[in-house]
Amino acid sequence: MNPMKKIYLLFACIIFNLCVEAQSNYGPTISAMGNAGVALQDIWSAQKNQAGIATLKNPKIAFAYNNEYGISNFNTKSVVFAFPLKNYVLGAGFQTYGVENYNETKSSLSLAKAISPKLLLAFGLNYHQLQIENYGSAKSLTFDVGLQYEIFNKLWLGTHISNPNQSNYGDDTEQNISTNIQFGASYYFSNQLLISSEIEKAIANEVDIKFGISYQLAKLIALRCGTSVNPFKQYVGFGLNYEKLNVDIAVSSHQILGISPQISIGYEF
Amino acid sequence: MNFNRKSFLVFISIILIPLNVVAQQTEDPIIANILESLSETQTEDFDYTELAERLNRFKKNKINLNRTSRNQLQELYFLNPLQINALLDHIATNGKLINDLELQSIDGFDLETIKNILYFTTINSPTGFENFTLKNFIKNGENDILIRSGKYLELQKGYDNNENNTYAGTQERVLIRYRLNYQNNIQLALNLEKDAGEKYWNTTNNPKGIDFLSASLFIKDVKKFKKIAIGNYALQFGQGLSLWSGLGFGKGADIFSIAKQDLGLIPYSSINEFSYFRGISSQIKFGRFDFTPFISSIKLDAGTSFNSETNLDEISSLQQSGLHRTESEINNRSKINQQVFGGNFQYNFRKLSIGITAYQSSYNREFSVGNSLYNKFNFADKELKNISLYYRYTYLNTYFFGEFAQSISYGYAYTNGIMSSLSPAVSLVLLHRNYQTNYHSFFNQGLSENTNATNEKGFYSGIQIKPNRKFELNFYADAFKFPWLKFGVDAPSSGYDLFGQFTFSQNKTSKYILRYQFEKKQQNSIGFNTIPILIDVKKSKYRAEIQYQINQKISLKNRVEMVQLQEGNTAFRFGFLAYQDINYHPLSSKLSGNIRLALFETTDFDTRIYAYENDVLYGYSIPGFQNEGVRFYTNLRYNIKRGIDLWLKYAITKYNNLDVIGSGLEEIDGNQRSELKLQVRLQF
Repeated sequence: MNPMKKIYLLFACIIFNLCVEAQSNYGPTISAMGNAGVALQDIWSAQKNQAGIATLKNPKIAFAYNNEYGISNFNTKSVVFAFPLKNYVLGAGFQTYGVENYNETKSSLSLAKAISPKLLLAFGLNYHQLQIENYGSAKSLTFDVGLQYEIFNKLWLGTHISNPNQSNYGDDTEQNISTNIQFGASYYFSNQLLISSEIEKAIANEVDIKFGISYQLAKLIALRCGTSVNPFKQYVGFGLNYEKLNVDIAVSSHQILGISPQISIGYEF
Repeated sequence: MNFNRKSFLVFISIILIPLNVVAQQTEDPIIANILESLSETQTEDFDYTELAERLNRFKKNKINLNRTSRNQLQELYFLNPLQINALLDHIATNGKLINDLELQSIDGFDLETIKNILYFTTINSPTGFENFTLKNFIKNGENDILIRSGKYLELQKGYDNNENNTYAGTQERVLIRYRLNYQNNIQLALNLEKDAGEKYWNTTNNPKGIDFLSASLFIKDVKKFKKIAIGNYALQFGQGLSLWSGLGFGKGADIFSIAKQDLGLIPYSSINEFSYFRGISSQIKFGRFDFTPFISSIKLDAGTSFNSETNLDEISSLQQSGLHRTESEINNRSKINQQVFGGNFQYNFRKLSIGITAYQSSYNREFSVGNSLYNKFNFADKELKNISLYYRYTYLNTYFFGEFAQSISYGYAYTNGIMSSLSPAVSLVLLHRNYQTNYHSFFNQGLSENTNATNEKGFYSGIQIKPNRKFELNFYADAFKFPWLKFGVDAPSSGYDLFGQFTFSQNKTSKYILRYQFEKKQQNSIGFNTIPILIDVKKSKYRAEIQYQINQKISLKNRVEMVQLQEGNTAFRFGFLAYQDINYHPLSSKLSGNIRLALFETTDFDTRIYAYENDVLYGYSIPGFQNEGVRFYTNLRYNIKRGIDLWLKYAITKYNNLDVIGSGLEEIDGNQRSELKLQVRLQF
């Protein structure tokens, strides 16, 4: 890393609380589409908008590894698992970020149901843990609600609210668990082409607008790209799908901080 | 002329009264529309003569779609590479077009495109030298003489005899332009021009004579010689990194315009006094290969400085304005010799084209680097060799394009892009670019945020969504980085540009447009700092536009545009422009024309707003408005008799908050500036 980048990064850490604010990782399928995933249906919806897993037919599991800006300690590891149970789909997720001295984890459970083929609803419960060496640890419980609705044929709208009661780690720390609302739309222009958009507002952050495209080039391969506006980031990625196995890769590019790669492997039972 | 509503209305009625006079065809709204939408990508007053001329020529001598080539279709500019491919594909698979209606079945051809393409093409017309004889040439050759003159009606300081220091010449601008066309195969072009403040006849400096003289002869399709150019010509290859002169487009509302459509060898008939070649060149076809050798020698305007180490004059700057009004401008006129020679090889096979360009440009003096740190990597020699490789390839619904360019013993630059119609309704464009700081080319017009494709890295993504014929959405996001310092930016910097436009075409004549653009860049902080730090400059632009037709003769257009600018944490600054256009284009009348009334109010120069204006034929202006005031213009065409046309443009800008307009020798004492342009054209 060049010195200029280091200085910027230092500033970024200080200014944006980058090092300490909870990192949400939505998996490379959604990330590659600029994180515009609130109206998408994917196994990774379990982390983004739980309503998106409601249409799942078979159990599915996926692991992801995300590195930020090429810095060896800025890693997120996550796993999501979802399985249909009677008329419901149950989801579970676990995500850990950081190193030995500093560590954040989020464990979540979600319950999703297709009220009708056009209306999907979900509720999620998250358990957050924060550990900093020599400082101690903190815990907190938050909940999410999500909804997706197919308003016209192939046009889905989605809404997701996380942590509406502004639950936090407590008074001992200034670390925040973000409270945010996301809504967006996705549209299938054809069997091959999906375009997605999203607006996200988190308390104390500027509004972010996101766009993403996914293009099924062939049966085996999907290409994806996206843009988010605040902060301005560009994303590209692709997914390989072979029978029950899929591998997805995404790369996001921040103008100053640099490039963050991400990979996931998923299996459908 | 006093501007209140009453006089405005009186003026309208004067123009609109003498309606319904018999006669023939009038001015061209279709060409004007194409030019206006293309001009959106240019911010400066660029010369569109060349393009307007080409379109007018095709209007008369229509392209035969059944015999056309990619290269020729590219000359129409409004067709994007995907549309060109779709059309050529359609002909290749289904055979010759039999009916115009077939165009509707081609992917990516909407009503407007079809309307435009049918205006310049047919499906059966003779082309080439099929029936060429001297007799035919004399009979069918078209002569076109155009004389234009214009001037500000107020006295500028540079023409005031009471002042000590004045311009060498007179205040009026004069252009004499002659064209001889035979079909699309022979074009002879001659331009004589003098700008405001220049002398009619130069006596002091080489070459003596008319200030700007440009002549070109262009011949097409003589056996193996696809093109021959003698005199002034332009060359456009690849994506413009290495060799591109004349008109080129960049980022704009049309997301497809970022893929440059190179035309190879073309005649240069513009009155831009920079970026062209003078000499001889030809495009020769050997089977699947095209070979284009070229040689040029030209004199350029340049400022020079004395280097005490070498005891020689060095080139400190090349001057592009082509203005020779003051003593120093006249001294710098034609000071440097530029010699260029080289060649291009292109291999074409089906949907693949690969080309190699290699050339050398040499000067009779060395370039000086300049003392500032941001100039550190500037070119500082007499001779530059450039080489580049470019490609174009279409596979199914996707068009691939790119160029790798190297300036020998300096840096390199490359760009790669794809353009794909992902579904019938959605098209995507992606382009990556990386231009080294020490990459040099004197004919560089690659896609860039900088003026030249150098010292820049970037990634562009654009999408167009056209669910049906009525709605169209265009978005793009472009991120860029400047690895080295720039003028006014004392550190490596970065920024991005976002664009969105929504168009609703209710029917053939009514159109509504909403546009938003946001740009963030970095520059030095304002005020005193020992070490300048970079601050963000954010600029938002909002635009709303309505176009509609009242009846077959009169169409109206309104636009409102606002600019919002913030430097660092300083207060927002604003710019505002609103205008009303009235276009009068009857199908049969000797008179046609348009008028505009515009109101503008801007905080300063940085928040100025540009707007395309209708002008006399082949005269194009895109003025930038700043300060506060009213702009009015009227532009009229009168057809005296067959082959003789007269144009008149009168424009006036009146400022509310100024007592003096302009500065230096351009200064006008007063709060209004008006301009009159007259033009006559003879065709025989």
